[in-house]
Amino acid sequence: MVLDMDPLFLAWSYFRRRKFQTCSELCSEILEKSPYDQAAWSLKTRALTEIVYVDEVDVDQEGIAEMMLDDHAIAQVARPGTSLKLPGTSQGGGPSPAVRPVTHAGRPITGFVRPSTQSGRPGTMEQAIKTPRTAHTARPVSSASGRYVRLGTASMLTSPDGPFINLSRLNLAKYAQKPNLSKALFEYIFHHENDVKNALELAALSTEHAQFKDWWWKVQLGKCYYRLGLLREAEKQFKSALKQQDMVDTFLFLTKVYIRLDQPLAALNLLKQGLDVFPREVTLLTGIARIYEEMNNITSATEYYKEVLKQDNTHVEAIACIGSNHFYTDQPEIALRFYRRLLQMGVYNCQLYNNLGLCCFYAQQYDMTLSSFERALSLAANDEEVADVWYNLGHVAIGIGDSNLAYQCFKLALANNNDHAEAYNNLAVLELRKGRIEQVRFFSGYLYGILCMFRLN
Amino acid sequence: MSLFKAREWWSATLGHDEEFDQGCLCIADIDNSGKGQDKIIVGSYKGFLRIFSPRPSKPGESMVPQDQMLEVQLKDSIIQIEVGKYVSGTELLHLAALHPRKLTVFSVSGIAGTVEHGNQYQLRLVYEHNLQRTACNMVSGPFGGVKGRDFICIQSMDGILMFFEQESFSFSRFLPGFLLPGPLSYNPRTDAFITVSSLRQVENYKYQTLAVATDVDCRAESEQQKLGSGKRLTADWTLMIGEQAMDICILSSAQAASFVFVLGERNFFCIKANGQMRFMKKLEYNPSCFLPYASVIEGTINSLVGNHNNMLLVYQDVTLRWAAQLPHVPVALRVVLYCFFLGPGSSSAVTFHVFLAGSLSPAELGGDVAVSYTTATGVPRVAQCKFILPLKLVCSPTPPSKSVPCRITIDTNKPPVSLQDIFPDFVEKTEEEQVHAIGFQLVSGSRVTVLASKTSQRYRIQGEVFEDLWLITKELVERFEKHFANQGAKDFQCSFTGPIPLAEYFEIIDRHFELRLNAEKYQNLLAERAVQFRAIQRRLLTRFKDKTPAPLQNLDTLMDATYRQVIVLGDAAEENESALCQAFTRLKSATHLFLLLLRLWQSLNKEQTDILEATFLPLLQDTSQLGWEECVDAAVTHHLRTCLSRSPKEQALNLTSQLALPRDTVRLRKHISLLCDRMAKGGRLCLSAEGSAPIPVIMPGMCDTESRSRGSAGAKPSQHRAQGRN
Repeated sequence: MVLDMDPLFLAWSYFRRRKFQTCSELCSEILEKSPYDQAAWSLKTRALTEIVYVDEVDVDQEGIAEMMLDDHAIAQVARPGTSLKLPGTSQGGGPSPAVRPVTHAGRPITGFVRPSTQSGRPGTMEQAIKTPRTAHTARPVSSASGRYVRLGTASMLTSPDGPFINLSRLNLAKYAQKPNLSKALFEYIFHHENDVKNALELAALSTEHAQFKDWWWKVQLGKCYYRLGLLREAEKQFKSALKQQDMVDTFLFLTKVYIRLDQPLAALNLLKQGLDVFPREVTLLTGIARIYEEMNNITSATEYYKEVLKQDNTHVEAIACIGSNHFYTDQPEIALRFYRRLLQMGVYNCQLYNNLGLCCFYAQQYDMTLSSFERALSLAANDEEVADVWYNLGHVAIGIGDSNLAYQCFKLALANNNDHAEAYNNLAVLELRKGRIEQVRFFSGYLYGILCMFRLN
Repeated sequence: MSLFKAREWWSATLGHDEEFDQGCLCIADIDNSGKGQDKIIVGSYKGFLRIFSPRPSKPGESMVPQDQMLEVQLKDSIIQIEVGKYVSGTELLHLAALHPRKLTVFSVSGIAGTVEHGNQYQLRLVYEHNLQRTACNMVSGPFGGVKGRDFICIQSMDGILMFFEQESFSFSRFLPGFLLPGPLSYNPRTDAFITVSSLRQVENYKYQTLAVATDVDCRAESEQQKLGSGKRLTADWTLMIGEQAMDICILSSAQAASFVFVLGERNFFCIKANGQMRFMKKLEYNPSCFLPYASVIEGTINSLVGNHNNMLLVYQDVTLRWAAQLPHVPVALRVVLYCFFLGPGSSSAVTFHVFLAGSLSPAELGGDVAVSYTTATGVPRVAQCKFILPLKLVCSPTPPSKSVPCRITIDTNKPPVSLQDIFPDFVEKTEEEQVHAIGFQLVSGSRVTVLASKTSQRYRIQGEVFEDLWLITKELVERFEKHFANQGAKDFQCSFTGPIPLAEYFEIIDRHFELRLNAEKYQNLLAERAVQFRAIQRRLLTRFKDKTPAPLQNLDTLMDATYRQVIVLGDAAEENESALCQAFTRLKSATHLFLLLLRLWQSLNKEQTDILEATFLPLLQDTSQLGWEECVDAAVTHHLRTCLSRSPKEQALNLTSQLALPRDTVRLRKHISLLCDRMAKGGRLCLSAEGSAPIPVIMPGMCDTESRSRGSAGAKPSQHRAQGRN
């Protein structure tokens, strides 16, 4: 028996259950019958937006052009402890960069990959030209290409009759008058179409229509300005929104603006204000911890990560960061416990096994070391990861005094990632021990080349 | 990501392909048994109404038939069910089912049988209301503070609230600014309705305001459920939350004030009864349903939140207390018993296809398949299987050809057999008794002919290209062995009288090597151009950044040209890459053939053949860093130094432990010839390291990385520096 149900109700129910494809198809059917059904139209925009939605707080990659053409910097050299771009000013008594490795940009390596940490590791131009620009390997070259990685999928959605909404023919002023439609439409333009200019126009018109009383529109305006690089304007909008209504997201957005302006102290202050309003909020605590970590103030960062774990003991980032911190402060046994916890929680990847292997080695549990690295190798998803594991295996080999094996391991690291500067360095050291000066010169030449490359970028 | 897994206490799989949503689950003592045992009531979009009374003897047991009290199919789909005192004159609980165009109220009663499974349950229709608009959801409660009665309010898809006071319709009201329906809830403490509208704000409407907003003219109309426009309806308070909501719940404890809980798409809000926010929590996952309930600790409230990552989380205010993995995405949650509706099951059969890339004969017809997958419960599994494809896929029969450059002769020690018996799938049935020649045409177009001698026990394989003989020769030898094994002959042996056709083999090696040199050349050129490109780009960027505009001095033309050069070089490198890939396949075929001939020639045993194969075929694919030539050279040299060495002087020979692209192939060719020579003189390979010669480590080839689904969160590999940095 087939029971007739209202198609709009069904679409609404599918939307609730996040079956967006079905929902959008049903809405298309409704719209074919009655093209002016606003409810179906709005539901379809929402479904299409949800398919490609990425939390804007998490989207952050600075392109090479932004770094080159930074007009916001006041001083060329910031005072110590006030900038994220001045590495090597450790104040928290953490391990020195000689012990704890740093990224190419000079920040200490964190225990967790997040969008902003990738910006410190820009690929070279050669690589960018050579590598295929798929969604997986896209690296920021300039602000225009490969930046919002997941948003790229929007263009892949094939709609047989062209795009769902033709933005150029949209009378934005008319839609700004309809507050119940305009918010969904804005999100569609911003997230699905990735058309910041039109989104900004709609937001500007709407906030005017709302007589500047709707904080939501101000936040959206701020998001648009941020994407366009107008940081001071974005800051103004976010601040104005916060005056009306305290929201966690607004605090996070404003923090992002300050970080982009390289004002970590202002960002920290703001997040602490946010914690007064929303005590024990995990995202704010994490934000503080991340900034401290980037400022090389590892002690404070760990304190805040521990606070995060008190609120949410399944927080993978906090566990990983505390674990790596213990590792670099010569407590591999404790780090091992944190990583084991991650394993128990179901994190199952190359990096985790790699770290487990290292911890086992330094904690003198040799029986587990090689099997962990073996697993890491079998789980590696790309060449960079394989290279890192071989590099670490090389260290283990040095540790057990097998310089032949170490040599092979470093070579394999280079075979998988030819700009692995540390591997070049260690190979040169190994050659030096053997007394082969020619080879040393060869490897240090490579090393110098790599260093120059990153300096240039 | 959780340490824990939720243990199932009781479960029932409902129907087939049925759909459920938020409102389809309800818990109540519906048959008014008075024993305080709550029943689970479930309605589905297909119109099935089921009532369960779970009593498992031990946890984790599946449903037994006695647990199901009732299953009926109604004429309309059920979109929501509620339980309350819906019938006038009695305070017994009744069941209200909301259909798209109808509201029906049933009474459920049980008649006890003599044994447990003899119990009978009946569903009796008490009354029904036909609706003029499509319903979306409903809420019930003692509206206006009535005692001992529950009224029902239905929200339609187009934003009308319809109120029913038990058997009679009272009034209906348009919600202002309506577009799509949001969740609806009733707060008995303040006698108000709370919803989240399309404006993305929480709106609170007093029942009083809703009722009074009607004026006299409209009352007559509203009797027939027409819209009562009346006075402009305004909300008691609103709170902008900036997102749509999944659900609203109201929790009022005896002492404390009541709180409104709103589960948004991205955040979780707790709002005081006057519209001020008490707290909010940003959710880093997509929630599917939630249920707040009073906590044991005074002043705090626990919430259960289910999400689309199959997790059930328990929060105490904003602190996560417990998290557990569920087998499915929950749609609805109720305390006392948690029920989760199932998604479709997954099958575990994998179909795969094998494609022949390009028109080149493959070097091997076999393969391994390994599938690694994660089951619905998150357990990683691996399944493996080997397969061999039939020869017919890569070649077809053609008439045999006579004079061709490459030929191999295989001897056997048994009387000659007809090729028709050996290749029945390539020879049509003919009158002739003996077939002495068969032609094969490979997919690459080259022809191979097999000739059987009429008198002796010899067979000749001849073809235009050396490496293409491999597949046929291998097939012939294998089929011979099978044929004679079927006949019961045990001492059958193929042999090859030699000499090994090394010249042809070396030619193929040289061709492969030349392409590798080319690849390196392109690589260097490309790197050079890329550096140039970046240099130009840097200059351009600085020029653009300059406050005073300066002429570009044709830098743009230069950049354009360099870019084009990079593209052209890239294309050429790609072309070379595919040629290299083909050459490597050829090389593999030729190597296989070479090894087979070596085996037949010296009648090597399995162990020897395995060592030879490991020596000559170490790589699945060669890369610019580690290629076939240097690997094989290192391995062959090792054999020459250890087990095939003639004198202790040779053992002492030192060799570089570094594998690098050699300048030419002279050394390799010399070593291979030497290996053949020594083996011809009776030398045999073995792996036990006699002598004290250091064994160079030959690293295994790069394994192909499989694509795997990985968790979004990843710990970064930590790197550690060398101690001696200068």
